[in-house]
Amino acid sequence: MKFWDRLLAIDRRWIYIVIWLVVMLPLLFPFKIRPIAMPPVIRLFNYIDTMPEDKALLISIDYTPDTEPELHPMAYALLRHAFANRTKVGVLCVNSVMSLGLGENAVRVVAEEFNSHATTNADSIIYGRDVVFWGWSTPFVTVLLGMGEKITNVFPVDYYGAATESLPITPYIKNYDDAGILVTIAASSVPQSWITYAQVQFGLPIGCGITAVSAADYYVYLNSGQFTGMLAGMKGAAEYEELVEQKLMREDKDWGLRRKATEAMSSQTAAHIAIMLFIIIGNVAFFATRRRKS
Amino acid sequence: MKKRLPLIIVLVLGIFAVIAFVVPHPVVQSIDETVRNDVIRIITAFSLVLGIGSIIRHHIIKVQRKAEHWPFSWVTLIALAVSAVIGLFGGIDPSVRSLLPTSIGGFSFHMQTLYENMIIPLGATMFSLLAFFMASAAYRAFRARNFEATLLLVAAFVLMLGAVPLGRMLVKPLPEFAEWILSVPNTAAKRGINFGIGLGIFATSLKILLGIERGWLGGGGS
Repeated sequence: MKFWDRLLAIDRRWIYIVIWLVVMLPLLFPFKIRPIAMPPVIRLFNYIDTMPEDKALLISIDYTPDTEPELHPMAYALLRHAFANRTKVGVLCVNSVMSLGLGENAVRVVAEEFNSHATTNADSIIYGRDVVFWGWSTPFVTVLLGMGEKITNVFPVDYYGAATESLPITPYIKNYDDAGILVTIAASSVPQSWITYAQVQFGLPIGCGITAVSAADYYVYLNSGQFTGMLAGMKGAAEYEELVEQKLMREDKDWGLRRKATEAMSSQTAAHIAIMLFIIIGNVAFFATRRRKS
Repeated sequence: MKKRLPLIIVLVLGIFAVIAFVVPHPVVQSIDETVRNDVIRIITAFSLVLGIGSIIRHHIIKVQRKAEHWPFSWVTLIALAVSAVIGLFGGIDPSVRSLLPTSIGGFSFHMQTLYENMIIPLGATMFSLLAFFMASAAYRAFRARNFEATLLLVAAFVLMLGAVPLGRMLVKPLPEFAEWILSVPNTAAKRGINFGIGLGIFATSLKILLGIERGWLGGGGS
């Protein structure tokens, strides 16, 4: 068997080993890459950054653990941005009950990050005053439409079982009128539903964070202006992390917060290069054997 | 009657949903709100009971018949029972006191602890396996056999390089070019597809409302 034939018939386990190495090694020995934000990311950042003080940020955690590495950093970065601006935040899940733990984790972890540097009660992020996690409710069409009328009707209790009417934050987030924007982070078609039910019917501005593989589906809505901005995949998350860090540094809050998406960019870069090399080698081998046979 | 009643319910509620969307009269809106907030939720609650009952029945039958991979059915049943007990009577997270003790010394098995330490890693692991299959498939199947395939290959290269910061280091305007591919040619094609899908959804919805399409009743379209 000739060299090119052997290359074409290579055992797939060699490919798996190479991919494993190019993913693992940059995670263990990362090379520093500074992301430069693209226009869709900048638009979302600027919109949230310049929202009126009385407007809240709503974050819909519409992804499940399988896409956690790619999408969870977006939730962290958005919460950091909102807390740095002292914007009130409401977090919810509509797509799957499996998203609940991710929402709880994001709210708790980012609030702890800020509280570990707070010196006064006013500086702190207090659950129920500055942020609320409503949890999950179903069916999602009922939730999306009902929240436009009165959020406490849809979520009578929050994730922890507290009556939402009794929370200090509730008078500030009664329905979509009090929200500056809703950002849906999803690995499914849920962002389209947010447009159909929340934006078309109530005029709520929508931003989205989605997996890289589904980004192509959402440029249609971005170009039409239905999405205010978009974070696409790990790269989008890393770019938003960069913008948030620059903002925190400008405000003398250089806390050295962990940036998981930026850390993963070196691994993703290596994996993309490896796959491109595989494609090139596969094509060279294919054409070499085809020429010989013809 | 067994077939006619569901068809009548679908017709009446379907037409009402369309009316509620365009008629702002308080009576119509009030009925719509009740249907959305109460009726649909009650029906959904029943579907939860049906779903749990169905999964338990399915796996018990598999275990009884020793069907293929039946030991995994035990895993599903045990995981379902344990997570239900912890969720209903145990704690959501370690900071909230619960009915059942859900920690032994420093070892916590609260719902959130289980979620963060088991469900997230398991879910992420399953999804990450895709990277290996994609790499293998790219090596074996991604060939520049003709003009269209070559075009696809070039676009994929630009997008893959544009999706990592290295792309900008190699060719400065590459990320902008990748963005242009997604914004212009991709959007043009997607819009056409979406219009087609939209019209298809509209036509199928009408067929279901009018009882022409009856596949959802079971037993095919007859």
